[in-house]
Amino acid sequence: MSTSQLALSVLLLPVVGAILLAGRGWRLPRTFTKIVGPGVVWASFVGTLALYFGNAHGDFTYWTWIKSGSLVVPFNLLVDNLSIFMCLVITGVGALIVTYSVGYMEHEDGPSYARFFTYMDVFIFSMLLLVLAGNFVFLIVGWAMVGLSSYLLIGFWYQRRSAVLAARKAFVMNVIGDVGMILGAFVLFVTYHAITYSGVFSHLGQQANCTRDLVLCGVGDSFNIELAAFFLLVGAVAKSAQLPLHTWLPDAMEGPTPVSALIHAATMVTAGVYLIGRMHPIYDIATYAHNTVAIVGAVTALFAATIAIVQTDIKRVLAYSTMSQIGYMFLAVGIGAYAAGFFHLLAHAFFKALLFMAAGNVIHAMHDEQDMRKYGGLFRQLPRTSWSFLIGSLALVGVIPLVGFFSKEQILGLALSKPDNSLALAVWVVGVVTALITGFYTGRMWWMAFGGKASPERPVAVPHEARLVMIVPVLILAVLSVVGGFIQTRALGIGPSSFSDFLVPVLGRVSWEEGAGVVIAGLVTMALATLLFLAAYRLYVERSWKPWSSRVPWAQRLLERKYYFDEIYDAAVVRPMDGLADVGLRDIEKPVFDGAVVGTGRAAVAGASSLSLTQSGYFRNYVLVFVGGAVVAAVLLLIRANS
Amino acid sequence: MSGLSIGGSQLDASWFLILAAILFIIGTAGVLVRRNPLVILICIELMLNAANLTLVVFSLQLHNLEGQLFALMSMTVAAAEAVVGLAILVDIFHERDVEDIDELSEMKG
Repeated sequence: MSTSQLALSVLLLPVVGAILLAGRGWRLPRTFTKIVGPGVVWASFVGTLALYFGNAHGDFTYWTWIKSGSLVVPFNLLVDNLSIFMCLVITGVGALIVTYSVGYMEHEDGPSYARFFTYMDVFIFSMLLLVLAGNFVFLIVGWAMVGLSSYLLIGFWYQRRSAVLAARKAFVMNVIGDVGMILGAFVLFVTYHAITYSGVFSHLGQQANCTRDLVLCGVGDSFNIELAAFFLLVGAVAKSAQLPLHTWLPDAMEGPTPVSALIHAATMVTAGVYLIGRMHPIYDIATYAHNTVAIVGAVTALFAATIAIVQTDIKRVLAYSTMSQIGYMFLAVGIGAYAAGFFHLLAHAFFKALLFMAAGNVIHAMHDEQDMRKYGGLFRQLPRTSWSFLIGSLALVGVIPLVGFFSKEQILGLALSKPDNSLALAVWVVGVVTALITGFYTGRMWWMAFGGKASPERPVAVPHEARLVMIVPVLILAVLSVVGGFIQTRALGIGPSSFSDFLVPVLGRVSWEEGAGVVIAGLVTMALATLLFLAAYRLYVERSWKPWSSRVPWAQRLLERKYYFDEIYDAAVVRPMDGLADVGLRDIEKPVFDGAVVGTGRAAVAGASSLSLTQSGYFRNYVLVFVGGAVVAAVLLLIRANS
Repeated sequence: MSGLSIGGSQLDASWFLILAAILFIIGTAGVLVRRNPLVILICIELMLNAANLTLVVFSLQLHNLEGQLFALMSMTVAAAEAVVGLAILVDIFHERDVEDIDELSEMKG
C-alpha cells in the first residue's frame, strides 16, 4: 500500500466504524458495537504507526474538489512529522479512551450505546481530518466537524436540560471561532490567491526574507498577515477554551467522562495549539499576533488555575486545569518554542486523559457523585485507580521524573532564557506562579478525594474497583506518564531531545539555548509546587491550618463566581439578544410574516369556498355554461372574420 | 355560394347548412331542457349528426374527401360515446330509477 493510500485509510477507517454503527447498527448484538467502536480506532492507530515507522511524508492530492478561476481547492492530505505526531496522539490516546468507554457506558441501553460509539468515531475522523488536511478549506471542515462532534457528545444525555444547554453553549462559542478561521482563510486567499498550505507558505518564504530588509520590499502584505493571524487566533482561542472564549469548557463536563477525557482534555481542545504550530510561518512574521498568543496563553494559565482552587466538582477542577495547561502550550508556541508546546501537548494528553479516566472510575464507584467534598478516604479502597490518579496528579504538578516535569519546565526554561525579550520574561513569571498554584489545587483535589477519612455524606461506603476494561487503559496511560518524559529531558539540560528533533523538519529549531541557571529555576519551581501539593494536606485533611478563604472571603467569592465571566456575557450578549428576539417576535414576526402567511391561507380558503358555489352538480348548468362559452367563442370568431 | 349537384339536381349549399344549424339547435335545446337522461343522450347524437352533415356538405362543395373521412371518424367517436354513456346510465339504473337528470347532483362542490 502506498503512503497516500495508507494516509487515506487512516483517515477513513473511523468513518467506516461510524457508518456500521449508525442507523440500525444497534440491532446487532452489543458485542458488535464493542468490537467495531474501538476496533476502527485501533486499526487507525496501527495505520498511523505504519506511517511513523515508514518515515512517511508528502503532500498527497487525491482529487480537485472545486475549480473556479484562481480558486482551486484540492482534497489533499499533508503527511509530515507534525501531522503524524498529532495522529499518533489522536488515535493512540483515542483508542485507549474509546476502549475505556466500552466499560464506562455499559449502563446505556442499546441504541444509546451504539450512538455513543458512532459519535466517538465521527469525532476521531473529524480530528484526523483537521490535522491531516493540506489546505484551509478542509482544515475548516475538520475544525467545524470536531465542534459538531463535541456538541453531540456534550449533549449525549439529551434528557438532561443542563447537558443540552452546555452543548449549545459550546457550539455557539466554537462557531465564533469557526467564523474567525474562515475570515482568516479569506484574508490569506485574497492576499496570496492560494488555499493550500504549500501555496500560502511558499509566498511567505519570500516575505520572511523581506522582514530583514523592510526597505527592499513593501510592507503592504504585513498588515494582511497580521489580520489573518489574528483571525486564526480567534479560531484557536475558541477551540482551545482560552480567554475570553473559555466559558464553554467547564460546562462541557456535562458530557460523559470519556468524552471529557478524549475531546475536552487530550485532543480537540489542543487543536488551537496545532493550528498555531501548523501556521508558524505566518506567526513567525506576524509579531503582534504571535505575542498575543503568548499573552493569551499566560493569562489563561493563571486565570484558570486560580478558579480551579475553589471548584468542588472533580471534573470541573480537571476542566480548569486543562484550560490552564493549554495556556502553557499557547505560551510556548507564542514565544516561538513550538516543539516544547507540542511536547507539553503530548504530556498533557497522557496525564490529563489518565486523570479524567481515573476520575471516571471514581465517579462510577461513587454512583455518579462528582462532589469531592463527599469523597474522602478512597486511597485504600480503590488502590489501582488511586495510584494511577496520584501519578497523573504528580505529572500535572510536574514532579521529577514524570512527563509533566520535563514538558512544563522546558517551556518555562525556554521562556526564561529567551534573550532580549521582556515578554518572554513576563510570561515566565506568570508561568511559574501558575505552576505553584497548580501544585496547590492538584494537592487539594488529591487529598480531598483520596486522603483522610471517608466523608459522612459519601454515597457508597465500600466502593468497588472498576472493571478490567476501565482499569487497563488507565494503567497504560500511567506507565506512559512515568516513562514518557525520558524521550526528551532537555529540561534538565542533559539527555535526549528526540521529540524536538522529530518535529524539526516541520517546526524548525528553537533559535536560542537554555542556560544552566534555567535548570536550577526549574528544580526550584518543582520543589515549591510539590511543597504546596503537600501543604494542601494540612488544609484539607488535617485541617490544622485555618482555611485561606477565611482571611479573604471576597477572593473566594470572586473565584467561585469564575470572575463573573458568565454573568458578564449574560448581561452583555445573551440578555440583549433575548430582548431583541422578543421584540422581533412580537413586532415583526407575528404581525408581518405570520400575517402574510396566514393571510395567504385565508384568502385561498375564502376563494375556494366562493368558487365552489359554481359547482352545483346540475348537469344542465354545466351544459348551459359550455354552450354559452361556445356561443361567445363563435361570436368572437365571426367578428374577427368580418373585420 | 355555389350549388351542389345531388342526384343530378342542383341545390344551394346554404339549405343544407341551415338544416344542420336547425338540427344542432334542436339538439342543444333538448340537452338543456329535457330531464330524462336517455333523451339527453339522443339529443347529443342529434348535435353530432348536425356537425356531420356540415362536414359532408363542405366536403362536397370544396371537392375535398377529408371532410367525409372526418365524418366517418366522428361517427365512430359518437358510437363509442353512446356505448360509454349508455353503460353509465344502465349502471345507474341498476342502482335506482332516475327520471330527472337533476337527481344526479351528488358531485356538487
